[in-house]
Amino acid sequence: MSLHDFLVAPFAYEFMQRGLLSAAVLSLSGGLLGCILVLRRLALMGDALSHSLLPGIALAWLLFGPSTTALFVGALVAGLLTALGSALLSRLTRVKEDAAFGSMFIVFFGAGVALVSKLPTRLNLTHFLFGNVLGVSASDVRLAAVVSGVTVLIFAVFYRAILLETFDPVFHRAIGGRGGLVHFGFLALTVLNLVAALQTMGIVLALGLFLLPAVSAYLWCDHFFRMLLLSVAIALVSSVAGILVSYHAGLASGAAIVLCLGVVFVGSALFSPNYGALYRFRQYLRERRGVRNSPN
Amino acid sequence: MTTVPHHILRFRALTVRYGPTTALENLTLDIPCGSSTAILGPNGAGKSTLLRAILGWQALAGGEIRLGDTHPQHALPRLAYLPQRQAVDWDFPITVRGVVEQGRYPALKLCSRLSAADHARVDRALEELGLTELAERQIRMLSGGQQQRVFLARALAQGADIFLLDEPFAGLDLFACEELTHILRAWETQGRTVLAAVHDLELARRTFTHGVLLDTTLVAAGPINEVLTPANIDRAFRHGHCVHEHPLHPAHHTHGEPTE
Repeated sequence: MSLHDFLVAPFAYEFMQRGLLSAAVLSLSGGLLGCILVLRRLALMGDALSHSLLPGIALAWLLFGPSTTALFVGALVAGLLTALGSALLSRLTRVKEDAAFGSMFIVFFGAGVALVSKLPTRLNLTHFLFGNVLGVSASDVRLAAVVSGVTVLIFAVFYRAILLETFDPVFHRAIGGRGGLVHFGFLALTVLNLVAALQTMGIVLALGLFLLPAVSAYLWCDHFFRMLLLSVAIALVSSVAGILVSYHAGLASGAAIVLCLGVVFVGSALFSPNYGALYRFRQYLRERRGVRNSPN
Repeated sequence: MTTVPHHILRFRALTVRYGPTTALENLTLDIPCGSSTAILGPNGAGKSTLLRAILGWQALAGGEIRLGDTHPQHALPRLAYLPQRQAVDWDFPITVRGVVEQGRYPALKLCSRLSAADHARVDRALEELGLTELAERQIRMLSGGQQQRVFLARALAQGADIFLLDEPFAGLDLFACEELTHILRAWETQGRTVLAAVHDLELARRTFTHGVLLDTTLVAAGPINEVLTPANIDRAFRHGHCVHEHPLHPAHHTHGEPTE
C-alpha cells in the first residue's frame, strides 16, 4: 500500500471527511478542557459525568428517534441533573462530593442501561457507547464545530480567570473573582463537549480525548499556556491517526483514537525528561550509588 | 499615636456564626494601619474567621467592618490575602514569575495583556524578595521559605498595602521563619500593614508590634507585650481547656458567662 493509499485515499469518502472534521474540531476544545480536569483533579468526575449521559440519550431516542438535537438536549439535561444533583446532595446531607457524584452517576448509568435494553433497535446505541464515524452526520459536525468554537472562545477571553480558578481559587475569590460561576461554566462546557463527541468517540470513550492529551502534556510542561497548546496538538495528531487506524483496521473510531492517545501517554509517562518514570528511576539509582560510594 | 481615620481598620460589635456555633462574638476593635499585628488565640478562637470576615467571605451575624470610612469590599485592591502553604498545588505547571504576574491580573481588563509597567512591577516584586534568579523555576523546585516568598511577591505586585496572612509560619523551618520575620519587620517600617493569624506566641512577640488576643470574644488588643501578659494568655487559653474538662457542656463554657 502506498503512502497515498494509507493517508489520503480514505478521505475520498464523505463519511471519513465528516469523521475527521468532527474529531479534529473536538480535539481543540477537548485538549483545553482536559488540562483543567487534570489540574483540578476532576478526572474521575469527568468520567462519571460522561457515563451519566446515557439515560438522557436513551430517553431522547425512545421519544424522538435518532434526531441530533433531541439526543443532544437529552444528554445535556442528564449531565446537568447529575452535576446539580450531586452538588445538592453534598450540601444538604452528610455525604461528601465525590461519594455523591459516584452514587448519582451509577444510578443514572443503571437507568440508562435499563432504558437501552427496552429500546426497539439496540445496534445503534452501541455506537453511542463506543463511537462510529459512519454515523457522523453533517449536523453532528456542525454541532461539534459550534461547541468547540464556543469553548475555545471562552478559554481565550477568560484565560486569566480560568488560570486563577484552577491554580488558586482562594486568591481568585480574594480579588473579587467569581469562582462559582467559573466552576459551573466549566462543568457545563464539559457536558456540552462530551455530548458533541458522542458520535465519533462514544460516551464511554469520549473522556479519553479530553483527558489523555492533557495528562501527556502535563508530563512535559512547566507553563500553563504551553501545556494547553501541547495538549491540543497531541489531541489533534492522535485523532487524525486514530481515524486512519480505525479505517484501515476496521476498529470502532473511539477505540482507535483512544489507543493512539494511549501510546502518546505511556510514552510520555516513561520518557518525559523531568517527570517521567525512567528519569526518576535513573535518579534513584544514581542517589543510591552516591550513598554507597560516600566515605561513610 | 495619631492615626488618620482613613488608615484604620475598625470592627464594631462584629459577630460571626457557623450554624449554632459562634466563631466571633461582639468584637469591637481598632487596628491601626502601618503596623504589624498578630492575631492570636487557641484553636477555634476565630483567627481565620476574622481574616475571612475582612475579605467579605463571611456573612456577618451582626456588627460591621470598616476600612477608614468605606466597606473593605470597596477596597479589595488594597487587600492581599496569602493562602496557607498546604493549600497550594506545588506541581502546577507554573513558574515563579507566572505566580507573581497573577498579582497584576486584577488591574487588567478582559483580553488585555500585561503592559511594560506591569512587567516592571513584577520585576520589582521579584527583586525585593530576592527571587530574580529563581524567576523561571517551576514552583516545586524551591525551598519552603522561597515558596512562601513567591506568594509575598505576588501580594507586592498586586500593589496592596494591607496584607492578610493565614498561618504564614506553619511548616517553615527555623531559617525560613527568621527570614520571614525579617521581611515582615521591613514591611512594617515601610508603612505597610500586616495582619497575620499566628499560632506561636513567642514567634509573634519577636515579629509583630501589635497583637489581638481572641477567644471568640476579644481578650486583649494593643502593643504586643501588653497583650501577651501571663494573665491575658491564661484567660484566652483557659476556655479551651474548659471544653475538654466539660465535654457535655462545651457551649456553656465557650460562650462566656451564662446569662440566666
